[in-house]
Amino acid sequence: MRTNHILGESVRLLVLGAIAIIFIYPFWWMVVNSLNSAAEIFGKPRLLPVSWRWTNYLEIFQVQPFARHYLNTLYVAILGTAGNIIVASLSGYAFARLRFPGRNGLFLLLLTGMMMPIEVEIIPLYFEMQKFHALDTLTPLVLIPMFCSQGAFSAFMFRQFFVTMPDELEEAARLDGLHPIGIYTRIMFPLSQPIVASAAILTFLSIWNSYLEPLVFLSDIQKFTLPLSLANFNDSYGLPQWHLQLAATTLSVIPIMAVYSFFQEKICDAMVNTGMK
Amino acid sequence: MKKMTALLLSACVAMGSLAAQGTKETAPVAPKGPVDIKISTWTSNKDQIAILDSFVREFAQKKGIEIHADFETITFAEYTTKLSLELQGNSAPDAYWVLENTAPAFIASGYMADLTDALQAYDYSDFSQPAMGLWVKNGRTYGVPFSTSPFFVLYNEDLFAKAGQKTPSEMASDGTWTWENFRKTSKAIKDATGVYGFQTVDGGGYDARILHNLIPIVRAYGGDAWDDQGNVKINSKESVAAIKLFHDMVYEDGSVVPPGDQSDFYAGAAAMTVGQVSRVSKLADGSFKWGMAPMPSGSAGSSAVIGQAAIAANAKGKNVGLAKELVAYMTNKDCVARIAGIWPPARKSVLESEGFLSSNKLVTPQQMKTAVAASIKSGRVLPSHIKYPQIEVESKMVWDKLWNKDADVQAICDEVAKVYTKYVK
Amino acid sequence: MQQSSLRSQQRLEAATGYTFIAPQLIGFALFVLAPLVMIFVYSFQQKNLLFGTSEFAGLANYKELFKDDLFWKTMGNTLVFSLGVVPLNLVLSLAIALYVGGGSRGVGFVRSIIFLPAITSGVAWSIVCKYLLQGGDTGPINWFLLHLGLSAHNWLFEKGWAMGSVIVSRVLKNLGMNVLIFIGAVLNMPQDVIEAGKIDGAGHARLFWKIKLPLLMPSVLMVMIVTVIGSMRVFDTIKLMTDGGPEGSTMVMVYYIYHKAFKMFDTGFASTLSIVLFLIVLVLTLLQWSVRKKVSYYEN
Repeated sequence: MRTNHILGESVRLLVLGAIAIIFIYPFWWMVVNSLNSAAEIFGKPRLLPVSWRWTNYLEIFQVQPFARHYLNTLYVAILGTAGNIIVASLSGYAFARLRFPGRNGLFLLLLTGMMMPIEVEIIPLYFEMQKFHALDTLTPLVLIPMFCSQGAFSAFMFRQFFVTMPDELEEAARLDGLHPIGIYTRIMFPLSQPIVASAAILTFLSIWNSYLEPLVFLSDIQKFTLPLSLANFNDSYGLPQWHLQLAATTLSVIPIMAVYSFFQEKICDAMVNTGMK
Repeated sequence: MKKMTALLLSACVAMGSLAAQGTKETAPVAPKGPVDIKISTWTSNKDQIAILDSFVREFAQKKGIEIHADFETITFAEYTTKLSLELQGNSAPDAYWVLENTAPAFIASGYMADLTDALQAYDYSDFSQPAMGLWVKNGRTYGVPFSTSPFFVLYNEDLFAKAGQKTPSEMASDGTWTWENFRKTSKAIKDATGVYGFQTVDGGGYDARILHNLIPIVRAYGGDAWDDQGNVKINSKESVAAIKLFHDMVYEDGSVVPPGDQSDFYAGAAAMTVGQVSRVSKLADGSFKWGMAPMPSGSAGSSAVIGQAAIAANAKGKNVGLAKELVAYMTNKDCVARIAGIWPPARKSVLESEGFLSSNKLVTPQQMKTAVAASIKSGRVLPSHIKYPQIEVESKMVWDKLWNKDADVQAICDEVAKVYTKYVK
Repeated sequence: MQQSSLRSQQRLEAATGYTFIAPQLIGFALFVLAPLVMIFVYSFQQKNLLFGTSEFAGLANYKELFKDDLFWKTMGNTLVFSLGVVPLNLVLSLAIALYVGGGSRGVGFVRSIIFLPAITSGVAWSIVCKYLLQGGDTGPINWFLLHLGLSAHNWLFEKGWAMGSVIVSRVLKNLGMNVLIFIGAVLNMPQDVIEAGKIDGAGHARLFWKIKLPLLMPSVLMVMIVTVIGSMRVFDTIKLMTDGGPEGSTMVMVYYIYHKAFKMFDTGFASTLSIVLFLIVLVLTLLQWSVRKKVSYYEN
């Protein structure tokens, strides 16, 4: 019985180890080869870099305005997330706690936005942005996560949260003569910090990683975001510059991983929520 | 809480300024002060852009105005898509490069400005007629080719020496430089050295550059993709024989870098490739001795494929008038001569000048004469069509079938012909 | 007096409510509803992005749709993709969750590792997978297989393997999420029922099929539908790894829409394709909602 248990436990550790290797190796390989030359990348796989070419990390900034791409992505992600939170918490609060005619119908309508994949609407959105003179600007990348499915989903999360708040809080505030706006800004919004965090993580990640929208809306290399930039490490004739691409990919993945390692629980919870939406 | 409000507030302000930025970009440029001119190209080479920029500055000086040129690089693989999207947007370029195969589509789209008047001072007879053919429609000129660059064979002399093979240049000069011998040599090198004998043009011969890869062989055997009268010829006996030759090199001889393999000529991992003058700069670091020769010949002689690129002015741009003049200036005889070492011109006077033969310091005058100048005279551009974007996407899926060992070349070519016929008619 | 103040308070509340939902609803109307209407309008037009033309064309696009071999091919490919991704993902994530979910040494670590690809961008993940799957004998996957005495393949360029390779990379990317969901579900299983099963002498297999799986079924259904919808929307993996090839064998719905609209400029026909995608997602979502109702019923 005891040896059986030990055997079971070691098999278990072996399996866990194998799983860990499968998931770590791609990242390990990426970092190692970001320090190799192009020829070395296509040589025999190795566990450590061969030539330790740190210059790869300098070159990526010369081949493309990579720093600019980084800033663009941050700019879009921060603005889009902030906008998403403001808009969604306001409407989530109203749908949960304020009574007005048509409330439920409007909320249901909004929910349909949650299921609308951006892929379906990309063509009309393109023509719409053209009309708004927003093509080749970062504006669509801020607006879409605010109002399309990500926005509807945040509103849904806020509404579900505010619905569970006890009535007494509001009653007391109302008796003190606080205007509904005051109730929202002074009491309700501060209380919704956990939802703010979840919604912000989800929106930020989805903007940081989005590819189809920038691909369609942006063409000027100065406006690129990181995913576009990564796919664009080519020399003047369209030939990929493998080693630079890997160095850039590493630089784009590392910050997210760093943040993840600090707020793992929170991020996992938030992501699981979308999985079940 | 205060912090949060401050954050939200600043976000709102930022949003506002974002919106303001959006409108600012659409405001018309005031006639006084520096004019912004945006030029889209697919080169990211700093030296090449510097030359183009110097043209703009000279032009501005001559006009007595101030021009701020903004050069935008769009990746080659995405060029047509991105450029056409950009032309619809609010930051459309004022002038841009156009690739030969999409010329008819872009002319038809109305985005290429009629340059005829701006080119009044032009001596059209200086241009070789086939070179202008694509860019003139109903007697009006919509683009001026700045590059009429033939594809030729680049080879690694060290590998040829190691395998004890006659080099392409030697074969070319004794008249035995045929596709048959090209195939034999490629296999001999692979057998003797283990290094691939041939890498397709820019490694793209199986997908993005499939026609650049196959058409030189096809035409050398008397076939073609389709002709100017709209007759599809890709499944003719001649075309199929030529494509079969290449297919056998890949799958019977194993001497060609296969699809999905990254072995690169410029890194010394293949003995021959096909390239243009602009690619030669990649050989500057001199890790091996190299040479260049014209394309091999077949039963119907030799036929170089010419890659052509023109510069056009955006007909719906903010500065059409100025852009037209700029295009005319950038393609005048003087400017063309200065870029001839990178982008061979279609101007006869430049092609025949001594200056042209020594214009690229990595290429000897002899090489320039036999591999470049001669090929410009004998070569032809790839077939083009107003529906080229559709043709390319749809035929690619059929072409893919070719890259199997047991592929039935005739059947696949018949299928490609069906796609071509649908659009070319 | 009392009543009028109550009414004014109600009015104030309603006004505030409308003000609060206004930004979201205006944005929703502009960026969700209007595009949805437009996509129907476009689908009846002959519309060309490059030439800037659009003319009413009646049902022409819909007629073409049924004649278009490529459309049926992409539908088939999308189906194959889903049929590959969904079962593989479900089986693996459920197995891992059951195996890891118990919560012993090293589990936390493995759990956070599995989640890494899920927070990585699809672009970065696809780029790395593309390198790992290189042909020849030095590609890491091939190198490993050759050392095990197995045969190497040109994964992304051989018709038989490309779809499989894309499916596996996609599954690995999103596995972490489903594992986490299932771990949650596993922890929520009523322990007494399982203990009772054990006492009755049920073996591992019997315990799983007769007791655990039925208990987990609601979550499995939910995850399944969400994964199906996700697999219908695949884009970046395809664009970066195979570009729809070889022979169009990995050309899926969204990639075909993108090609038609932004490479071939036929936005009218592409809109018709989008309608098809929309209808598929709509049906799946309705299914999802009805399942969720059952799930919450079950949870209560």
